[in-house]
Amino acid sequence: MNTSSTLALKNETKTVNFKKYLLRGCIAGLFLLPLVWMDLQTYLTLMVAGLSLGMLIFLIASGLTLIFGLMDVLNLAHAAFFAFGAYAGYSILNLLNPLGWVETGSFLQSIISLGLALLVAALVGGILGFITEKLVIKKVYGDHLMQILVTVGVSFVIVEILKIIWGVNDEVVPMPMGFSGSSIVFGVFIEHFRVVAIVIGLMVYAGLQLILKKTKIGIIVRAGVENQEIVQATGYNISLIFTLIFAAGAALAAVGGTMMGIFNQAVDPYMGDQFLIFALIVVIIGGMGSVTGSFVGAIIVGLAFNYFAYLAPKLALGVNFMIMAIILLIRPKGLFGKD
Amino acid sequence: MTQTPTLVEKDRMDERAKRFKSPTFNLQLAVIFILAVAPFIIPSFTFMDVMAKIMIFAVVVASFDLLLGYTGILNFAHGMFFGVGAYSVALILYYSKSPGWHHILLAAVISLVISIVLSLVISFFSLRVKAIFFAMLTLALAEFAHILAVQWTSLTGGEDGISFVLPGIFNFSWSGPTFFGTQMNGRLMVYYLILVCAVFLFAGLVRFVRSPLGRVLKSIRENEQRTVALGFKTFGYQIYAIVFSAAISSLSGILFAMWICYVNPDSVFHTAIMVNILLMVLIGGMGTLYGAMIGAAFLIVTETWLPSILKAGASFAPDVAIIQNLSDRWQLYFGILFVLVVMFFPKGVIGTIRAMLGQKK
Repeated sequence: MNTSSTLALKNETKTVNFKKYLLRGCIAGLFLLPLVWMDLQTYLTLMVAGLSLGMLIFLIASGLTLIFGLMDVLNLAHAAFFAFGAYAGYSILNLLNPLGWVETGSFLQSIISLGLALLVAALVGGILGFITEKLVIKKVYGDHLMQILVTVGVSFVIVEILKIIWGVNDEVVPMPMGFSGSSIVFGVFIEHFRVVAIVIGLMVYAGLQLILKKTKIGIIVRAGVENQEIVQATGYNISLIFTLIFAAGAALAAVGGTMMGIFNQAVDPYMGDQFLIFALIVVIIGGMGSVTGSFVGAIIVGLAFNYFAYLAPKLALGVNFMIMAIILLIRPKGLFGKD
Repeated sequence: MTQTPTLVEKDRMDERAKRFKSPTFNLQLAVIFILAVAPFIIPSFTFMDVMAKIMIFAVVVASFDLLLGYTGILNFAHGMFFGVGAYSVALILYYSKSPGWHHILLAAVISLVISIVLSLVISFFSLRVKAIFFAMLTLALAEFAHILAVQWTSLTGGEDGISFVLPGIFNFSWSGPTFFGTQMNGRLMVYYLILVCAVFLFAGLVRFVRSPLGRVLKSIRENEQRTVALGFKTFGYQIYAIVFSAAISSLSGILFAMWICYVNPDSVFHTAIMVNILLMVLIGGMGTLYGAMIGAAFLIVTETWLPSILKAGASFAPDVAIIQNLSDRWQLYFGILFVLVVMFFPKGVIGTIRAMLGQKK
């Protein structure tokens, strides 16, 4: 009796595992589908474009998902942090440009100027996130509705402040010399800055994983996602950690904003709104609170967007909605969400 | 054989008995009367414009309040349904060669169908998981609608929008004598159409909330688990509320488009409209319905006259760039007001008044 029930349990786990792998295999296989309507070179070109877009989305989605997972706060002010970071990076590049470090100069100078822009953007975003958390979010913990409403208001205020500082018009962002241009490798058209975006996205993902898995603060954060009361009971200052995570999420969004500003070579006050859709779709697809989930989700969304944009530019965003709907039907909590 | 009425029946009978005697009823009549004679008392176009917008937005906000205040569901696509209504009437009147009455009715039917189907689909996908999913999904969808309206230039005219001509009685101009300084023209007819429709829609909303269905919605807001335990299928009731409020929102979108005679993506689909609707609900008070009127009136009046007041204030210091900038960005004050209202004044005007009256008892 006992053995048979164990066996049945084992069999069940096996089928569940099999189902899981089948699902993953199907999803991976779907990415070969675009080959039906394009040749291999276009496919690879679009793959690079899609991956770079995915990495940029990942930067904003990872902050969103971390904040949601740990603090149970849906931060709709994320789009505003994104735009503010983009403008901060733009200012730095604009400052460095007359010195001959951005649109002219050596490769090293380009790297330094990009690094500086990202650093300042991250700092500005972090400070903004810190202030927002301390002033506003702290007051509305535990009430989803209030949080959503308050972050909508904060986002409105930040965008207006942005307009006061930088004006309402679109601005042209100088692209660092070392990363501009493109080359053709085996017939595949690759823009250099897309490669930079992919590298930075991978670095951020690896860094986040390292911090979350290997460091003490990462362990506390992961424990907090599971059960914050017990973390508090073991004597850690969870409110400080909340503030830090919020600031870190805002900094990630700001870095994403700067990258996007350089990528499009333009910034405007509402640039965050369009990206927030992508980020929300990614967070829903990947499962709220999971960094790996939002990494995978961002790649799915980035690739799907580019492949379908090749076919029908105006329907590309709609396709992402379809993907989200299908995934929600199969797994209501998202790909990596916990049941 | 007489049965003793149940508690709910007794409550309803009480309500029915004093329906036409309560001070609120007289207040309602007074408001309608004031709105009806307003164009003749102050014959200024800006004033009429403000009144018409207040009526339209009072309905939009009240239907939003039906969801937010009575069921606790935050629907960011509410502004989108408003836009669907506005665009459907605009597109139909723009593309029809000789616009007539039936075109407006057709637009109403089409926008109702679209908003009902869309809201059913959204709620089916997101509500069964978590209420917060619904907020995220509808926010993404609303942004999508805005992008669609901007990019689908062959149909919607893109950023430039569509201006159109209203049919029949809404477009006549009469060069005869004026009544109390007000010209009789199509605008005035549209104004009265808006008044009649707004009163009916608002009454419909109030009726919806007072119905047995509305009671269930309130109980879902207070305690969903207990409502489930009492044997109500909360999922179905929430869908009723979402569909009903989406339908009302799209109808008021039609009124809005008819008043402005012009639509563009930023005027009906932008998130700023959603923020305005949220602010109106919060100022008036969530879950009060009548708060919608106060919120709409406050916001639209300030929106109309605040910029010029700030400009006048800034003209005292014409050389200081920061003050000029601060006066230009009057929306900043709305944002700050929004945050402050959420944090320190969550009951809103009507909610606070009711709480004070309740304390006196």
